[in-house]
Amino acid sequence: MQYPQLSLLLEAGGILACNRHLTASHRVPAVANYFLTGEIMQKEKTHATAIELKGITKTFGSVVANNQIDLSVRKGEILALLGENGSGKTTLMNMLSGIYRPDSGSVLLNGEAVTINSPEDAIEFGIGMIHQHFKLVDVLSATDNIMLGVKGGSRWLKKTRSDKIQEISRHFGLDISPEKKIYQMSVGEKQTVEILKVMYRNANILILDEPTAVLTPQETKKLFDILRRMKAEGCAIIIITHKLNEVMEISDRVTILRKGESIATVETAETNAHELTELMVGRPVELSIDRPENGFEETLLEVHHLTVANEEGFEAIQDIKFELKRGEILGVAGIAGSGQKELCEAMAGLLPVSKGAILYNKENIIGKSPEEIIKMGISMSFIPEDRLGMGLAASMGMVDNMMLKTYKKNKGPFVSRKEARELSKRLIKQLGIVTPGVDTPVRRLSGGNVQKVLLGREIESNPNVLITAYAVRGLDINSSYTIYDSLNEQKQKGVGILFIGEDLDVMLELCDRIMVLCHGKVTGIVEAKTSTKEEIGLLMTGGSGKEGSADA
Amino acid sequence: MRESSSKRHYNEPLARIVKKDAMSNQRMAAYSVFALILAIAAGGVFIFSLGYNPFKVYATIVSGAFRSSISTQGTIKIAIPLLIASLGITHAFKMQFWNIGAEGQIIMGGIFATYFALFHSDWPHWLLMLVMCAAGMLGGGLWALIPAFFKTKYGTNETLFTLMLNYIALYMIKYLAEGPWLDPKASGFPKIASFEKNARLDEVFGVHAGWIIGLVLVGVVYFYLKYSKQGYEIAIVGESENTARYAGMNVKKIIMRTMFLSGAICGIAGMTQVSGAAYTLSEGVAGGVGFTAIIVAWLAKLNPFVILLVTIGFSVLEKGSSVMQSSFGLPTSVSDILQGIILFFILGCDFFTRYKLIFRKGGQKNDN
Amino acid sequence: MKKKLLSLILTAVMAASVLTACGTADSKDSSTATESTEKEAIALEDFKVGVIHIGDPADGSGYSFTHDQGIVEMQEELGLEDSQVIRKNNIADGDAVATRTAIEECIEEGCQLIFGTSWGYMDTMEELAEEYPEVMFSHATGYKSNGTNFNNYFGRIYQARFLSGIAAGMKTETDKIGYVAAMDNQNSEVTGGINAFAMGVESVNPDAVIYVKVTNTWFDPTLEGQAAEALLDMGCDVIAQHQDTTAPQLAAQNRGAWSCGYNSDMTKDAPKAHLTAPIWNWGVYYTLTAKAVMEGTWDAANYYGGMDDGLVDISPLSENCAEGTAEKIEEARAKILDGSLKIFEGSLFDNEGNEVCKEGETISDADITGNMTWYYKNVEVK
Repeated sequence: MQYPQLSLLLEAGGILACNRHLTASHRVPAVANYFLTGEIMQKEKTHATAIELKGITKTFGSVVANNQIDLSVRKGEILALLGENGSGKTTLMNMLSGIYRPDSGSVLLNGEAVTINSPEDAIEFGIGMIHQHFKLVDVLSATDNIMLGVKGGSRWLKKTRSDKIQEISRHFGLDISPEKKIYQMSVGEKQTVEILKVMYRNANILILDEPTAVLTPQETKKLFDILRRMKAEGCAIIIITHKLNEVMEISDRVTILRKGESIATVETAETNAHELTELMVGRPVELSIDRPENGFEETLLEVHHLTVANEEGFEAIQDIKFELKRGEILGVAGIAGSGQKELCEAMAGLLPVSKGAILYNKENIIGKSPEEIIKMGISMSFIPEDRLGMGLAASMGMVDNMMLKTYKKNKGPFVSRKEARELSKRLIKQLGIVTPGVDTPVRRLSGGNVQKVLLGREIESNPNVLITAYAVRGLDINSSYTIYDSLNEQKQKGVGILFIGEDLDVMLELCDRIMVLCHGKVTGIVEAKTSTKEEIGLLMTGGSGKEGSADA
Repeated sequence: MRESSSKRHYNEPLARIVKKDAMSNQRMAAYSVFALILAIAAGGVFIFSLGYNPFKVYATIVSGAFRSSISTQGTIKIAIPLLIASLGITHAFKMQFWNIGAEGQIIMGGIFATYFALFHSDWPHWLLMLVMCAAGMLGGGLWALIPAFFKTKYGTNETLFTLMLNYIALYMIKYLAEGPWLDPKASGFPKIASFEKNARLDEVFGVHAGWIIGLVLVGVVYFYLKYSKQGYEIAIVGESENTARYAGMNVKKIIMRTMFLSGAICGIAGMTQVSGAAYTLSEGVAGGVGFTAIIVAWLAKLNPFVILLVTIGFSVLEKGSSVMQSSFGLPTSVSDILQGIILFFILGCDFFTRYKLIFRKGGQKNDN
Repeated sequence: MKKKLLSLILTAVMAASVLTACGTADSKDSSTATESTEKEAIALEDFKVGVIHIGDPADGSGYSFTHDQGIVEMQEELGLEDSQVIRKNNIADGDAVATRTAIEECIEEGCQLIFGTSWGYMDTMEELAEEYPEVMFSHATGYKSNGTNFNNYFGRIYQARFLSGIAAGMKTETDKIGYVAAMDNQNSEVTGGINAFAMGVESVNPDAVIYVKVTNTWFDPTLEGQAAEALLDMGCDVIAQHQDTTAPQLAAQNRGAWSCGYNSDMTKDAPKAHLTAPIWNWGVYYTLTAKAVMEGTWDAANYYGGMDDGLVDISPLSENCAEGTAEKIEEARAKILDGSLKIFEGSLFDNEGNEVCKEGETISDADITGNMTWYYKNVEVK
């Protein structure tokens, strides 16, 4: 105990339990490091089980979210938790991180049964979760966010802590500037801060919930590098995802959940995407998406110099230009928040346009009322991102939601629910919507069914322009393919479709052309057939692709 | 450190809050009834602790509200403005526009109606009644339109805005009573003259015709909200303004129109109060009805027929409490406390319709 | 469309209600017509009295307390049980609905006689008297009556004010007396009181002037106190009041001046300043009326009691009074009681020099309480 600063540093919470090498480049003397982690870590690194779940069951009312689930992760291993939306992945992980408590079953940490009552407990146990939605304070710096809520210590330790953060970053290749404010950061940087946050709290079991959903391919690659380093350090990592290629790329083992049950756990090296899909969906699935050709040539809409300010007055769309042909699916790619939402809403007439024109048959439709636009023969359907918040009335049934755009057509002061009721029944059959009844509030339906209700209604209105924002977000594979098929059907009818998407693999297969947005500007429009994910990824971050400059 | 902390976590908490499935309406109603019974029991304990027999006190409350035709009529008279104002508020609340200003809208309805009662009392009776009713609607409606306008134009907070307008309306009565509309026969006492017979609302079965208006409104409001296009628009705007805009609705127009209607119905309550109950315009014209109506509308989940039931319940309680006060010598504040207890339980029951508590299972160890 | 429908329904409802209401109104009218003359006697155990208070008697002083003391006196005098007196407290007299509800509840309880103690209840009571001809209504401080079951009661408080004016006139050294008045000359009750007080002052001190300050409120300790301060600043050394609180008394005491209270003996509130106060003894009227109603002999004539009935008086003179005050007051009291001093007796001049009452004439009590807009010659409104 001749090193008095040791206890101090301990209190500052700066020592990573899973990081043995950290101290090599650090001021803490080797003896202290050894005292802390040395021998224990050495043992633990050898594929001992870090955490094990046994027979976990969790119900929400009558819904069984998790049923007798078994799962284990070893130290120095990346486990992919694969399953469709609604299969219970997030619920399971929320129990590990102390947000929910299981109804039955047990959690074994290093072979010892524990009860995790709160996220604080989880952190004490070394379990850190990176949520899909970041939990960061926008106006604070990375350092402040990381240290927020860390108990003990006083201000003067800030410098030491800051050093510690830098150490961790450098070691894992987490590339951030500690004093940068969150609001100035890209999505990837924010995620890095989240990871640092849990690492700083000594996490050695890391759970990432759909971490790549918001990242560009390049950022995804970076993230995977980080994860591999952590794995090498002996951390146990669980990554929740439904993207098969990522599973194949990063994981050592895969546990597959289906409808709340653990179906199988397989070694990644011994499986393939097809087998995983089959396990995940429960039956063989054809994984290719059609891109039917058609003879339509004429231009439906021309967008010129469109500039749109969002609600805060910030120019979310700046001077963009593109055209949409009949019978074409034009994909819109970009990092989340690059102006996709504003583009859709401006085109659907929901956001005022500051500058520019949208031409239909050489006639500008901006500034025209919805009625006037319909009179011109344009029927625009918009499937917004936030379905329950914008496209549908959440606490109303299908019938009332069907009337949303047509309720005025009935003569007299009253609404007629007759047609809407018939339409609802027809859609339930056509699209296989699962609902207890046509009057059940739509918020009680699953995400896929909600999307089908919305899509069904919009297609039913026979549009010639269809705008869809994240049409398959949150849907299972079956539902997603139903949606793709419906979109292709519309395309073959000559409808021009603007497809705002996030899964580049899907977009490359489904779309005819892909327009890439970055910070509200078009950085390129590429032919989907000839383009690659990497090219689009570059455009998403503002770099120029090989064909980028031609169309922009 | 870890050793001790993990030991600590072997114990699960005594109770946990867990979200429930959506409940059927019948179960919901059953919960409310159960809450009411609990409230009555808790109120009974309170009465008992004051040294009275709770059964007797409760019996007095109920019998006090209906013991004679006068008292039944009195109960109905309490119910009329409450019913009408609750129906008015319902429009705004359905739209998620938090109209706390029913009080002021009732007052303005009363003021507008009073103008015709004071200065055009010579008009034919039925014409005068219709004009007063229309004036009441206009007064209440315009008063409600002010916050709606500022909300849609400048995004002001309607809760505060409508609340503040209540006080302005109240002081307006004060002003009128002390100045322009001062009763010349009142020897300087600041009051507005009593209406002439011609300007009074007729009585049907011993109670002014406001009860008929109220009952008719229950049906009208129900059909308006449920089956009319405007009612549909109100529901959509209340659900999500974005969805309403998405559907091509003119949200601002709908908010203004609905608030006008909301205020107009409250204005009718003001009109029936001045012409049917007070026969004059006084500061007590609304008498807190506008606030109680919020609770009524809320408890009734904005269903007009349930509003009718809840209103009757509240009126019985209020009327009965007053009798309780004079026959037991209990201060009026006791009835306020009873009302508070009932509200507490019924609103509290809302929690249990959405969540349930899971208690730690006795004796079960977690180390299995 | 919707609105059209609504108005149609409303019109239909209105029409229907007009028809039915006409019917009921007719029958009510006829019943009042046949009623009125003969009233039956009521057995003591069946007799119930209702009282509508503007405040709460439990406050222990002030207006409602004074009235309730009278009710208690009546109850003891007649031997009524507590359950035979129904009190409705804190009924704001600006609230016609609350007033009506309170009175109707008394009727429900079976009261045959209802006293309303505040001015604002008058119109409502008059209406209810018509609706409930079998119930007797008696209302304080107003002027209306219907000769069958509704009257007003009040008293010649001006007699007591005259006497208190003597005490003030004897005491003042600056010859400036302040008077904090609730209402201006639109209110006869206040104006008549000021004039009587002024005449009392004049009777012993012809040089003294009465400065009046109007607060426009019956009850507001702050305003009342401020008005008194202002009067003291003008050099007044005696403060009188027609207000409900003791604030003017306290203001006078703080400045080492003198004062006359009102309603109840305020010597206990301002022992160093208070001279005497005009006071009410409502028990006299309540006992009288309750007896008459019980015996079925009540004629519902307006009651206007005076010092001879014991309804009004002044509180015992405090030791602050000037020497000789007691004698002067006794002298005047004797004259009032034997009828030789009527106070509002010509010839009287107002403060604008007009003769408002000719030599040999007197002003009626009705005019003093209901129709007096002029101030006596030694009064100045500030």
